[in-house]
Amino acid sequence: MKSEKKTIAGISRRNLLASAAAVAALPVLPSMPYITRAAAQDTGPIKIGFPVPLTGPFATEAQDQVRAAQLAVKEFNDAGGANGRQCELLVRDDKLNPGEAATRTLELIEKDNAHFICGTLSAAVQLSVNNVTKARGVIYVSISQSDKISEASDASPVTFHEAVNPHLMSSAVARYAVGKFGKKAVCLVSDYAYGHENLRGFQRAGQPLGLEILADLRHPLGQTDYSTFLPRIAALKPEILFLANFGADLVNSVKQATDFGLKDRMKIVCPTLLYTSRIAGGDEAFEGIAGAAPFYWGIEDKIPSAKTFNDKFKAAYGGRYPSDYGAMGYSGIRQILDAVKIAKTTETKAVAAAIRALKYDYYKGPQYYRACDQQSVQSVFVLESKTKNKRNQYDVFDVVVTEAPDEKRLRTCEELGHKT
Amino acid sequence: MSMLASEPVKVAEESVFRRVLLLIARHRMLSVTVLLLVFPLFMPYTSLAINILVLGLYAVGFNLMFGYAGALSFGHAAFLGMGAYGCGIAFVKFGIPWLPSIGIGVLVATALAFVMGYLAIRTRGIYFAMVTLALSQLVYYTVFQARTWTGGDDGLRGVNLAKINLVGFEFNFLNPTVRYYVIGAFVLFALWLLSRILESPFGAVLEGLRENEARARACGYDVSRARLIAFTLSGMFCGLAGALYALHLSIVPIETLHYTMSGLAVMMAILGGMGTFFGPFVGAATILLIEDLVSLWTVHWQLFVGAIFIVFVLFFPKGIWGSLLERLRL
Repeated sequence: MKSEKKTIAGISRRNLLASAAAVAALPVLPSMPYITRAAAQDTGPIKIGFPVPLTGPFATEAQDQVRAAQLAVKEFNDAGGANGRQCELLVRDDKLNPGEAATRTLELIEKDNAHFICGTLSAAVQLSVNNVTKARGVIYVSISQSDKISEASDASPVTFHEAVNPHLMSSAVARYAVGKFGKKAVCLVSDYAYGHENLRGFQRAGQPLGLEILADLRHPLGQTDYSTFLPRIAALKPEILFLANFGADLVNSVKQATDFGLKDRMKIVCPTLLYTSRIAGGDEAFEGIAGAAPFYWGIEDKIPSAKTFNDKFKAAYGGRYPSDYGAMGYSGIRQILDAVKIAKTTETKAVAAAIRALKYDYYKGPQYYRACDQQSVQSVFVLESKTKNKRNQYDVFDVVVTEAPDEKRLRTCEELGHKT
Repeated sequence: MSMLASEPVKVAEESVFRRVLLLIARHRMLSVTVLLLVFPLFMPYTSLAINILVLGLYAVGFNLMFGYAGALSFGHAAFLGMGAYGCGIAFVKFGIPWLPSIGIGVLVATALAFVMGYLAIRTRGIYFAMVTLALSQLVYYTVFQARTWTGGDDGLRGVNLAKINLVGFEFNFLNPTVRYYVIGAFVLFALWLLSRILESPFGAVLEGLRENEARARACGYDVSRARLIAFTLSGMFCGLAGALYALHLSIVPIETLHYTMSGLAVMMAILGGMGTFFGPFVGAATILLIEDLVSLWTVHWQLFVGAIFIVFVLFFPKGIWGSLLERLRL
């Protein structure tokens, strides 16, 4: 490295002048032919970009999202597409990183000329994708949870939130649990948006029912050891323990609470009781735990569209049952393609209007978009974990409550900052 | 005599390769300019080229401290992040135009670098790495908790710059090509500035410090002050990279402040060649390009990226660019 100094001469006046001239020539470049790229065309294949976290902690759910999305695309293509136009799904790994997701979305829009974007599996990542798409007027159907995306700061005419949101899920749990199991609760909250939004939803829905929160204990995202929290929770003697954490955190805290013997003294509930977490955590850990879910394959007994979806999914993937996030991926893609058929074009305004007007039932009963924030109004299921009388090894929940779609259960348009 | 006779033949054989590399090494700024102009042509898509520019500048800024002043900092994500948040918050929350917003981002990062440097500069080696890491984690958690200003873990959204006015012309900043050349101009300016700094007597002092600190002190140089200035300047370049990153992606994710981002700078600098002017840029381009291409092809991309990294570290211990330069002198 020392010797590099000898060969690398200092920058001379001539170099400087040359550089300056080159910089001055910069504005000429955009007119060069190689850079002008065609915008998304209204002919040829219908391209849907699908950024999901194929690697990282949510990889299992993401791979299910892809399977379900591919199923929707295959159905559409097998049925002849829209006026002979077939659909092409462009799957990208967003690595559960908002910066990577934004870059991939830019690639999908700028290079691949994707007509629509659907996907993601985290609040932060969907908000970043949404920020990129709305600035460019590209339709984005989000299939992961967030309260924020419906607020006036982030919502837009091209933003559709197909997934449930923390408010809806945690309030369903509050309506189920408060009173039935007692009124005194302790909340163990993962200290980021997901935890905070769920805590708010639980509190608000629980208050009219007489909920008294003895303490809300915060733990950082990705906590593995909950031993410091458990004695405090036991000492507070609550009747309900509300676990507002997600994925691996939920599984870890549930396992440790079981080992500590908390279950004998209180009812444990959580806002998102994932099918994949339940399978991963096992019978013993999840015994007696209740929570909400946007979908569970067992609802097929009562809901015909769920049965149809489950059967198609199982036929396509060797008998495998779809997970909740997978199901939302199916619905997200299918509604875009149905809207394209109705609008007879891939032009953004027409397709957005068609999605807005959809009354659809793809996998969980009727759904539609609320006008002000384009949040999908949908049913929510409250599940009790079951360990006995199982039909098969995938039969892990009893559906105890089905909350029908109702706008009143969402936060009001005014509260979200939308003009009415 | 026989050895002398064979010499010219050898030179003639490699003369083209040699000449090109020598030319690049000798005319830093000219080569960078030419390279930047044609760079997007060789990239899969323009937004990736912009990422490489921005993170390349970040790695180059980091290399000023690591490769030239010889101190391994593990907290440079704080400067990238604060440059991004400074620019983003000025733009989104205060409605300040984009150019002054970039300036604010750079200023915030520079000020932070001065403070962090002031606290950390007297430590050496692994302790310096640990202190800078701890300080940058403080910044991370502060920003994480200041939700109203920064958006917390949802990230800062709305850094939406659609149109820019430059020398009387209006440009569409959403157009990837325009975005590339505007950001490229900033990066070019920063590289020119860095080139000047390295060529100045101050640059020589830095390298002197790296090679033999005791001797530099014996020669009468104020070691702490020189290191503090280098650290602050390094933070300034990283801050500019952060501000450009915010405008490019139109968001500032909390991940920009995460320690893995500091680690990325170390990897880029080592892979490309620490202590060389272009090295970190070569490293940034290699890492980002491989990651991008391999992750399109398989979900096990980390395995391949890791393997490639190991190969480079084993067989190019001076980094890709460093090894090339060395071969040049054989």
